[in-house]
Formats: sequence, structure tokens, C-alpha cells
Amino acid sequence: MSVFEIKDCALLRRMSGLPPAFNLRELRERIAACSPDVLYHHYCDTQLAPMTDYPDYRNDFAIWARRRLGDQVVAERLGMIDPYVYTSMEELRQVTLDIIDERLSEAFMVPWARPGHEFYCMQAVTIVFDTGKRVTHPDELPSAIRLMTNGSIYFHVLEARRRDPVGVDDFSAWLQGLGGDWDQYIKAIREIDVTFHTLAEIRNELVEAVNMGSGFDAKGGNA
Amino acid sequence: MNRSLEAYADTVGTPVIQQLRALGEILRGHKVVHVNSTSQGGGVAEILTWMVPLMGDLGIDASWKVIRGTPAFFAITKSIHNGLQGKSVSLTKKDWDTYYEVNAQNFSEMKEVLEEADIVIIHDPQPAPLLGLCSNKKGRWIWRAHIDISRPARAIWKPLRSYVEQYDASIFSMSQFAQVLPHPQFIIAPSIDPLSEKNMDLDQRELDQVREEFGLDPDRPLLIQISRFDRFKDPVGVIQAYQLVRKVLPVQLVLAGGGATDDPEGAEILEDVREAAGDDPDVHVLLLPSDAHRTVNALQRLADIVIQKSTREGFGLTVTEGLWKGKPVIGGDVGGIPLQVTNHHTGYLVNTPEGAAHRMRYLLHHRETIRRMGITAREFVRENFLLTRHLRDYLTLFTWVLKGEGRNTIMI
Repeated sequence: MSVFEIKDCALLRRMSGLPPAFNLRELRERIAACSPDVLYHHYCDTQLAPMTDYPDYRNDFAIWARRRLGDQVVAERLGMIDPYVYTSMEELRQVTLDIIDERLSEAFMVPWARPGHEFYCMQAVTIVFDTGKRVTHPDELPSAIRLMTNGSIYFHVLEARRRDPVGVDDFSAWLQGLGGDWDQYIKAIREIDVTFHTLAEIRNELVEAVNMGSGFDAKGGNA
Repeated sequence: MNRSLEAYADTVGTPVIQQLRALGEILRGHKVVHVNSTSQGGGVAEILTWMVPLMGDLGIDASWKVIRGTPAFFAITKSIHNGLQGKSVSLTKKDWDTYYEVNAQNFSEMKEVLEEADIVIIHDPQPAPLLGLCSNKKGRWIWRAHIDISRPARAIWKPLRSYVEQYDASIFSMSQFAQVLPHPQFIIAPSIDPLSEKNMDLDQRELDQVREEFGLDPDRPLLIQISRFDRFKDPVGVIQAYQLVRKVLPVQLVLAGGGATDDPEGAEILEDVREAAGDDPDVHVLLLPSDAHRTVNALQRLADIVIQKSTREGFGLTVTEGLWKGKPVIGGDVGGIPLQVTNHHTGYLVNTPEGAAHRMRYLLHHRETIRRMGITAREFVRENFLLTRHLRDYLTLFTWVLKGEGRNTIMI
């Protein structure tokens, strides 16, 4: 049976070098010009970045549109973008630009932010490292997940979706690779709506999904 | 302070400590030198007092050097500090020469340590010229700006920039504070120490003593703003908000701060505050000594709601402290306050005394909301603004600087 290697990661934000955006049109220009790393950061790193606690929306563009531009329409549309369903950052970029273009064509004036509330394009550096901890059998997963840092949850659930197999978290991919009858648990893990949970909440949901006390026997299948 | 990292395990959880130890392992044995201009007093010295020993605890060869200077040097660096924060100041060529010469004298005393270091962190502008003097440097040099330099006086920033742009990277507390520079600029928010006197848990007896000392009524709600008496903290606006609430609810207000006595503007504002408070026995204006950390801690814990109604703010660590005490914060929508206060979750952002009064009344009529926000607030700080996160950010930066080679993602 292959072992599950528990990784961890730490993220640090850095300036992208692009000038800040003061209104929706400038935001569009920045999104059109920014690197994929900037786009990824504002859509996907949000849950790991400090200084973000805005449960109503899960990406920085929607949060800024709501809080600083006061444009709830574009905030709602941007807020519903699920970055993980797109196969590339370019596709995600295009969807984002389409939404902003549509809003710019509807609005009577370009929504703008007060000085001090401008949007800063950021990116992140991420250090991924091995914790040295291993899970050798699925029945160890609940206790292992319970002790994982937010960095580990982020890496194995969210960041994992960028790696092969694309769009899939590491836990369910590992269970699938083991063979045996783990389908019920794979399904439970994949049904977690990661967009609307904090990393702490995802950890709790995962523990619940893989809580095998009543479901698994020790040999690799449902009891 | 000489605590081991494990002392924080009860507060942040063992996995967080293990994460720091794993990151520390990557950096074990590397020489890191911090340089600043004072060993006591001020936020930077406070940070280095815990950070350097904790880096040592992780196996990093960390040290802290303090530059020495003449009164003339410190008068010049005070002007530089003020200029960076936007005050219109000017320095003569002679002043800049003095600034450089004092750094040159310090460099000769710490030359060997700086040349041998793998990473040198230069804190704030006072020691910024040291890099230019270190022609034989081995490691990477990072400039750490602790102050808001979003709108610096050009006469100060232009010459200082010529020193700063030589660095390999720089660190700012918020993206709004950053300047355009020809190297990577990182954002590291400040933090609080949950075990310090200002933030540690206090027993009920101590809280009762403080309540009695200041004549606070245990049966009526307490609003509190802790900050120095500064116009940008809008203490008079807080009194106006309190007076609006007082018409309908029997509240008490504490405005507590220090450091006004040697500041002519501070004394003037304190006078304005006392005048606005009038003879209302429920407005307590307290001028506290700078080391009254436990008193501040107790007052924050006694409060029902913490206020920080600033009209201009840096990061706003008093907000962080209030949130850590499990209190909702009503704060001005400026600086770092909106990064910490989210409407309906950890408190409310306001722009006027009327707005503050409205939120105070709402919360005081909804005690369950106060309780719920307090829980969210404390967890938010636990996750984001304790010194363990601050330390992790530095370790991440060091790893990137030493092993990143320009990549944004590094697999170790």
C-alpha cells in the first residue's frame, strides 16, 4: 500500500509591481496585464493569506468590488467564479474580463474607490516542505488530518487541484489509487464545497468525511 | 523574554509549532543578523526582543546588533522618520553626511558580523546606509520598513531611496505602505505576543482591582478606546459617539493612552478631550505610563466593546489586541483596521461619531452578537496576527531568499 506523504506550505505575499487600480476600468487593465501568478493569488490563495476575513465572497476581486467600489452587481458575478473549474489561468482571466466588460457596458459611471482603498495586485511566494509525517492506512487519516496545519490543508486540498490529476484533491486521489472499496469516502471528500469554507472548516469537513470509525475495516474496504 | 517556542503551543496548537520547527530545520545554522537603532523602547525593539531568541530556538544562528549614534544623528533620523511619514521636513547636505558617517563608524564595529551573515535585516531608515558600506558582503540584505511610507516627503525619500534600492528585497507592513523599488517587496503584517503582559490571560481578581482602581461600575456596559492622544485617533469623536449612546443607554467610556506629556500637540489634544468630556463622571480619561501593559490588558478585558475610531491609522495593533480579548471592535475605515474588522463578523467599520454610536447601540442591545463576534475575533487573531505567524513569514522569506532563485513556488 502506498503511503500518503504529508506536506506543508507557507505563503508570503509580495507586490506584483503593477500600479494600484482606483476604479473598475483600471482593475480590468491590471487583470488583463498581470501574470498568471497574480491571478492565481487573488482567486486561490485567499484562504491562506493573512489579513483576509470576508466570508461573503471568496476572491479578492469580488471583495474589493463589494467593499471599495460599492458595486454589488459585479461583486456577485465575480464572487461566483469558481477558479478550480477552469483548466488554465488564461481561461480564468478571460472569464473575469468578460464579467467586468459586461458590467462596464451596463454601468452609467465607472465605479471607483476612495484614495487609500485602491486595489493592489499581489502575488505570493510559497514554500512547500515535507513534514516527515506519513499516513500508511486510510484509517489513520482522521487523526492525521485533525493535526494538519492550514498550510497542509491548503496544499493537499486546494493547491492539489492544479497538479495531476488536475481538479482533484490529494486525499481522494490517494484513496482512489489504493484500490479497494473507498468510493463512499472519495465521494464524501469530493462533495466538500471548498470555495465556501475556511481552511479550518475544510479540515473539519474532511475529518467528518473520512471518519472511518464506523465505516472502514483495517484491511482496506468497508466493514 | 526568553521563552521557548513550545510555550506558545497551548495558544496556537502543536501543529503550528511543528510547522515552525520544520521551516527552522531548513534554515538551521544559517547566520541571520538584525540591525536597528535601539535595544529598548519602541515597536521594533519589542519585536526583536522575542524574535531573535525564537529564531535561535529554531536552530538559526540569529543575532541582533544596535547602531550607536550621537544626539545629532538621532535628531536627523527623527526628521527622516517624520519625512517618511509625510511631514514636510528638510535636511541639509551636512545632515546627510552626518547620517552616513555615523553609519560608517558603526559599520567598522560590526563589519565582520555583517560580512559573514547569510541574511541581514536592516530595520527602518537609521541603519540603511550599512549595505553600501559592506563591500565584502556574503549574504542577502533585506530592508524592513516598519512605518507608513505611503506618502513620503520627496526631499527625504529621494536620498534615502538611493540607499534602499541597493537591497535584495524589502518588507512593508501593508501593501498601501510600499514604494516602487527595483527589488521584490514583501508584505509582513505586525503581530502581538499572546503571552506578553499586554495580552496574557488575567484572573478575575486582577480585573476587579483595575475596575475598582478607576471607579468603573461593574453593572453598566463599558466602551473603551486605547490610544495615545492624537488627533488622528479622534478621541473627541469617540466622546461624541458615547454622548449619543448615553442618551438612551447607561454606558461608561474609558479613553486611555500615554505619551502626551512631551508632545505639545498631544497635550493640546488631551485638553480638548477633557473639555469634551466635561464633568461627566462616566467618561474616564486616563493618562497611563508607557509600561502600564497589564492595566491596558485589564481595561480591554473589562470592556464590552473596543473602539478605535481613527481617521488615519497604521496597522492598528490596538485593534488586534481588542480582538484578541474577544471583543468586537468598532473602528475607523482606515489603514489596517479594515484588514482586521469585517462588518458583522468581527465588529463594524465606521466613518463618523454617528456611525459609531449607531453600532454601539446595536451591539449593546444584542449581547449574543457581542459574544459571537468576540469568538470570531479571537480566532481570527489566533490564525493571522500572533507572533507565530509573524515568525513564519520571516522564515518563509529567508527560505525564498536563500533557495528561491526567483521562483514563486519552492519545493524543499
